[in-house]
Amino acid sequence: MSNQESTVNDISMAQVAESASFANAPVAMSLRNVSVAFNGRTAVRDVNFDVPQNAVTALIGPSGSGKTTLLRALNRLHDLTKGAVVTGDVKLGDIDVYGGTIPTTVLRSRIGMVFQRPNPFPTMSLYDNVVSGLRFNGVKKKSILDDACEQALTAAAIWDEVKDRLKAHGSTLSGGQQQRLCIARALAVEPEVLLMDEPTSALDPISTASIEELIGQIKNHVTIVIVTHNMQQAARVSDQTAFLLMADDRAGVQIEVGPTSKIFNDPDDSRTLDYIRGRFG
Amino acid sequence: MTTLPLDNSHHIREHLRERASATVKRRQFVSRLMIALCWVAIALAALPLGDVIINLFIHGWASVSSWAFYSQLPAQPTLFSPDAVGGVSNAIVGSGVILGYALLGALPIGIGIGVYNAESDSRFAIVLRLVVATMVGAPSILMGLFAFGLVVVQFGFGFCILAGAFAIGTMMLPVLAASTEIAVRNVPATLREAGLALGAKKSTTSLRIVLPAAITGIVSGAILAISRAIGETAPVLLVIGGSQAFTWKAGDFGQALPLMIYQDASSSYPAQRAQAWGIALFIVIVVFVLSLTARIWANSKQKERR
Repeated sequence: MSNQESTVNDISMAQVAESASFANAPVAMSLRNVSVAFNGRTAVRDVNFDVPQNAVTALIGPSGSGKTTLLRALNRLHDLTKGAVVTGDVKLGDIDVYGGTIPTTVLRSRIGMVFQRPNPFPTMSLYDNVVSGLRFNGVKKKSILDDACEQALTAAAIWDEVKDRLKAHGSTLSGGQQQRLCIARALAVEPEVLLMDEPTSALDPISTASIEELIGQIKNHVTIVIVTHNMQQAARVSDQTAFLLMADDRAGVQIEVGPTSKIFNDPDDSRTLDYIRGRFG
Repeated sequence: MTTLPLDNSHHIREHLRERASATVKRRQFVSRLMIALCWVAIALAALPLGDVIINLFIHGWASVSSWAFYSQLPAQPTLFSPDAVGGVSNAIVGSGVILGYALLGALPIGIGIGVYNAESDSRFAIVLRLVVATMVGAPSILMGLFAFGLVVVQFGFGFCILAGAFAIGTMMLPVLAASTEIAVRNVPATLREAGLALGAKKSTTSLRIVLPAAITGIVSGAILAISRAIGETAPVLLVIGGSQAFTWKAGDFGQALPLMIYQDASSSYPAQRAQAWGIALFIVIVVFVLSLTARIWANSKQKERR
């Protein structure tokens, strides 16, 4: 066994006990034959899996395998892109995400998102950033906003660092703090699902560790779907892993989905094993 | 098939080293030459500008530095009192009022068009962009004629300050729309996405996230529009009537600074021509102070965000 293999296995073994626990968990989101196409060119094809509640689902795969594209289909962020078409069924609980029964604004307040680079609103104070989602949805009462602000910042493990300077601008924070601020901003509207698009790729290792720790804490309150380039990260933070790969026509397809421990230790597909062991990607 | 002369690569290396010193010398020479040319270009641009400013101060400073310039109404000099030109208080107020009304109308509409053009891909937006681009380059007298035809004649307001404001406003509109569009386009898409991902409507995102993030660019555009408008003679010449009395009422005959320059400059009295210089200097100072203030404000705003 090479060194690399044993490292990966060491990490994933620690997860075994935890990741088995979601097997009977209710389903937060379900994807059936989900495909995304841009101007007729398929970018993601026929994805099928369930996102278990209060667990972390990681989307892994090499560049171009459609991880981010798939993630953005879940909160209808492709609606903004001209020529983007999402087909198949995406469900949030019993609600058909693309069925027209739920307004996108409501949907997006129930499925929050954290982006690759921290993107606090530059013109707003820390406080205004955190409560912005509530304000956009019409909440005006100061006591509610104050409570939500403290709760969200506490949940994002940044309250103690910023509680004395809530009036300062987001840009006065470090990159890691900014990302936690953005997580707090997403949590403030109390979403059921939180989508994270490579949330640590722009951060240093220490900030990355703190975000990963945070993910472990907040998954008790919110279901998480995280895209990551970093396989160790997927192994560390996730309960379920979906492995995507680019097919011959350059569309991303799902190769294997399963408990993280299984994907990292005993995958069914040899391509998964090759990717996990760093043979490509 | 030829084999690569890998064993000869030393020769290339030696050759390169020999050439190196010659190359460096040539590059240094070209570099110095280019820098010298840059200075020549700067001088060519700066000399006439410096000449204008120096002349403005030489001929206009006496007027600008006298209190009467700001406090008195214009007077008609006579042969017996050739220096009694009075001041331009009515023109300063007139220009201020015209700009104020013009901004009142042009700011919201111009910014609205700019935001729409930046955020929409509709066919209407494409046409609107073309219209804005064309209007930016349109000669200002066209706006004067437009205001004359519409406000003075069609609506029957007659010559008045309001008509001047209308002309100046239509002149500022495309500048505001174009600069707003650029400023809004420069706001990173990820901020827009962050707003939408929080459940904000598209319009809410535009108004409360994108627009504030673009504000420094929009203000710069507004300052540019004001700077252009404050010295604009042709449109006001046609429509405000050129009163010598003091007024700020929208329906009255009005007076404006550039119009005063136009009248004074053709006078046979040296004191009136000096007053024209003074007004020109005054406009340059106002525009300079405005631009400087805007720049300082924008810098501090930028620093605040970093």
